[in-house]
Amino acid sequence: MNNQRIVELTLLLLAAFITLATVAVAAVAEGANIEWAAIPYLSALLLMWGISHLSLRKWAPTANGLLFPITALLQGLGVAFVLRIDPDLLTRHLVWSLFATVAFIAVLIGLRDLGQLRKLQTPLGLTGLVCISIPVLLKIIRGEVNSYPSVQLGSVAIEPSHMGTLCLVIFFAGWLASYRSRNTAEYLGEADRLDGDPSRFIPLIGAWLLISVVVIFQSNLSAAFVLVAIFLSMWWVAVGRPIDLAFFVAAVVGSVLLAIDNVPEFQDRFDAWTDPWSNSQFGEAISRSSFALAGGGLTGTGPGEGSADWVSGATDQFAFVPIAEELGFMGGAAVLSSYLLLAGVGLRVATAARKEFESLLAIGIAIFFGSQAWAAIAVPLRFLPPNDLSLPFVTSNGPALFTCSIALALLLRISETVPVIPDRTQILPRIAFKSQGAP
Amino acid sequence: MTRRLVHVGIAFLAIYGLLFFRLEMIQVVDAKNLREHPQNTRQITLDFDAPRGVIRTADGEIIAQTVAVSGARNRLRQYPYGSLYSHVVGFISAQHGGTGIERSHNNFLAGNDLSVRIQDNRDLFVDQARTGQLQLSIRHDVQLVTRAAMAGHLGAAVVLEPTTGSVWGMWSAPNFDPNHLSSHDLQAAATDFNALDSDRGQPLTNRVESRSVEIGSLFTIVTAAAAIESNLHDLSVSETTSFPASQNSPAITNRDGSACGGTIKSLMVNACRSGWAAIGQEIGRAPMQDISDRFGLVGGDPLRTNNALRGYLKPTELSLSAAHAAVGTAMELTPLQVAHLFATIANNGSRIQPRLVEQVRAHDGSVIQNFEPNVLNQSISKETAAQLLELLSENVKTGTAQDLALNAAPVAGMSASRFSGSNHRWMVALAPVTRPEVVVAVLLEGDGSDDQDTAEATVAAITRRITEAVLRLSSSNLRGS
Repeated sequence: MNNQRIVELTLLLLAAFITLATVAVAAVAEGANIEWAAIPYLSALLLMWGISHLSLRKWAPTANGLLFPITALLQGLGVAFVLRIDPDLLTRHLVWSLFATVAFIAVLIGLRDLGQLRKLQTPLGLTGLVCISIPVLLKIIRGEVNSYPSVQLGSVAIEPSHMGTLCLVIFFAGWLASYRSRNTAEYLGEADRLDGDPSRFIPLIGAWLLISVVVIFQSNLSAAFVLVAIFLSMWWVAVGRPIDLAFFVAAVVGSVLLAIDNVPEFQDRFDAWTDPWSNSQFGEAISRSSFALAGGGLTGTGPGEGSADWVSGATDQFAFVPIAEELGFMGGAAVLSSYLLLAGVGLRVATAARKEFESLLAIGIAIFFGSQAWAAIAVPLRFLPPNDLSLPFVTSNGPALFTCSIALALLLRISETVPVIPDRTQILPRIAFKSQGAP
Repeated sequence: MTRRLVHVGIAFLAIYGLLFFRLEMIQVVDAKNLREHPQNTRQITLDFDAPRGVIRTADGEIIAQTVAVSGARNRLRQYPYGSLYSHVVGFISAQHGGTGIERSHNNFLAGNDLSVRIQDNRDLFVDQARTGQLQLSIRHDVQLVTRAAMAGHLGAAVVLEPTTGSVWGMWSAPNFDPNHLSSHDLQAAATDFNALDSDRGQPLTNRVESRSVEIGSLFTIVTAAAAIESNLHDLSVSETTSFPASQNSPAITNRDGSACGGTIKSLMVNACRSGWAAIGQEIGRAPMQDISDRFGLVGGDPLRTNNALRGYLKPTELSLSAAHAAVGTAMELTPLQVAHLFATIANNGSRIQPRLVEQVRAHDGSVIQNFEPNVLNQSISKETAAQLLELLSENVKTGTAQDLALNAAPVAGMSASRFSGSNHRWMVALAPVTRPEVVVAVLLEGDGSDDQDTAEATVAAITRRITEAVLRLSSSNLRGS
């Protein structure tokens, strides 16, 4: 028995209680029709949490005990709201949750040592590139702009962008761990000069090109924000030269300005952002979100009393709106705090990681969660133009949940204080000690 | 590396701080403004399925009611008179929010307001569906008369009782049948709504409340008031055909290029623009700005409080040149504001807030709130008001509004037409002159091809017909009930 798992179990029970209480309060609200059929779904969800918890006990017993309950709480809140807003989505959501749980456990079992992942870094990087650049291909083939491209496999739509981002994070962590030494401020000096080996600019330029593709061909400023946030954080921690960041940010801003001037779809979104009150296609969702949030006020309308049917996308990219409307500013702030805590614990894990690669990967994943949540919540709050970024763990969007679960498993693996496979570097001192004490 | 990791953590804390701050702004600080935003249809959409009180006219006709039906939604909002009251009650729709009284008094009708919900102590503990009923000041008979008179014409007409500010009749054409928009067939309702919304004639807009149109020489009654207050009513201006142009304003010419002049009485009966401009020059801009303020004509929407009719108007401004201000250049008002202005004159200069809703009643019929006539201010003195009424009366006897004359009672009134760029025509009538009981304001929208004289005869005929019928209708059937 181990402290982290006890903490995890306690918090999981709390998360289960909050989820069930939210559903129960909504069920007695006037007008909400929550049927008894909801019970199997909720039991299945709780069962999956239990199985995940037991898997953690078995295969990662010393992993951090806060991470999983936070994500479980967010997922539970998401299910509690989907139950009422769009019950038709529930079966699909549950199947994706099952996939996500299976993937989560598979990563825990299959990936005992993150070194294995580092060997796959190049193929993963290529996969990531392909996933992100699919919109370019789609645009050329179909001649259309689609902010979140999906590939239809039978009745299941798979959106490759989330997985692509995660693959790139792994690749970038591996690349930085190998090559960061000749780029660091310690090596080049803090001087704001663009000197050193020219090849060190390749990642900067590569990342800029990739983000420009996202901005121009997906018209998606939120996805671009996520990539920029991940790249900047990892680059800053690994390299630490302000001048690189300044040039990089200037280049990305240039791409955005170019897109505003030249891509009509982007202009529409940008106009809806600056003036949501003129009833345009994108503006209506923003203005209605504001009205719904204002309707909630400080303490909220109470579960089941909100206007989720009226706000489009309330189960996906605007999933934050019904929560903050019905639970009020208090509930909204609690959700924001959960994400902040998730990212904070992730960064804490990064400082404690034993290897540079693991540390960088932990930063990447923590920012992956934190920036996605920020960008998705920033849309109804009018910090970013409208787009279709899902809220991690809360959303009913299956592929996003799937990717987030895998990322969570990786973070949990990094957070282990006692590795399952003994690390050679930790065995060595013990041998040295023995040999010293022998004579 | 750890030090730089802390930087990342601080940066994230900062951008999340922005979210907290913004969420607080929207949900707590700005929440009231957003809830009252004109585009906010959240509450009324939530209340679409809820029990909802009836709306009655002053003479007891039910013009909006909720009936039980079978189906997925078990309550349907019905408007028995269809398009007759479309711009009075508005509509409520599952997807497109609502307008009119349905929207502005939604909290009473749906029982969200605590005064409706809680009648006695027991109601604190039993959460019952309690709705409020509304009684309007609109009179069914007057509304029918107004519709009949306006048949076939585009524009708006409003009938106001000057002593109480009650709106007796309110008609705006084109209009719509609210039953189509409140339908449970959401597909059909959406089709209808989109067709109405994209119609160039703007049938969803209530012209009486929210269509500001240049009032032109109707404004000269305000100039006359300013002249009387400045002791210039005996001033006689010399006969000219036009008021000369200055460096930054064009000349003001008379209709047909005729020459006119004299005292304000002569200017009124001849609709003498050049003369009014000269008087305006003499008065100066400051007194005219002052009197416009007292009449509530400039700087925002003076009618938008309490249970007054709500409108979202751009504030109108007095022209910078005193001469142009005197003939009403750039002075844009709604038909309701025009009727309100003349009602103030008819009511001895005492300005009463127009009101559409007279009473809010509980589900059992007991009166919860009674909206009494609300005196806004004494815009002009009784003596000035009497002199203005005299001018308007003279205008009907010998001036430009002779078509308004009735046998039954002496009428006062005036008209305005020919504006820069549009073909609107205004006509206002007050009757009887001795103690005005009714003010009628009519706005007709021409199509540009109309013959000037015919169009003026038409608007005069409509106004006279409404005035005559309203005077003849006994008010006993209203007060007796």
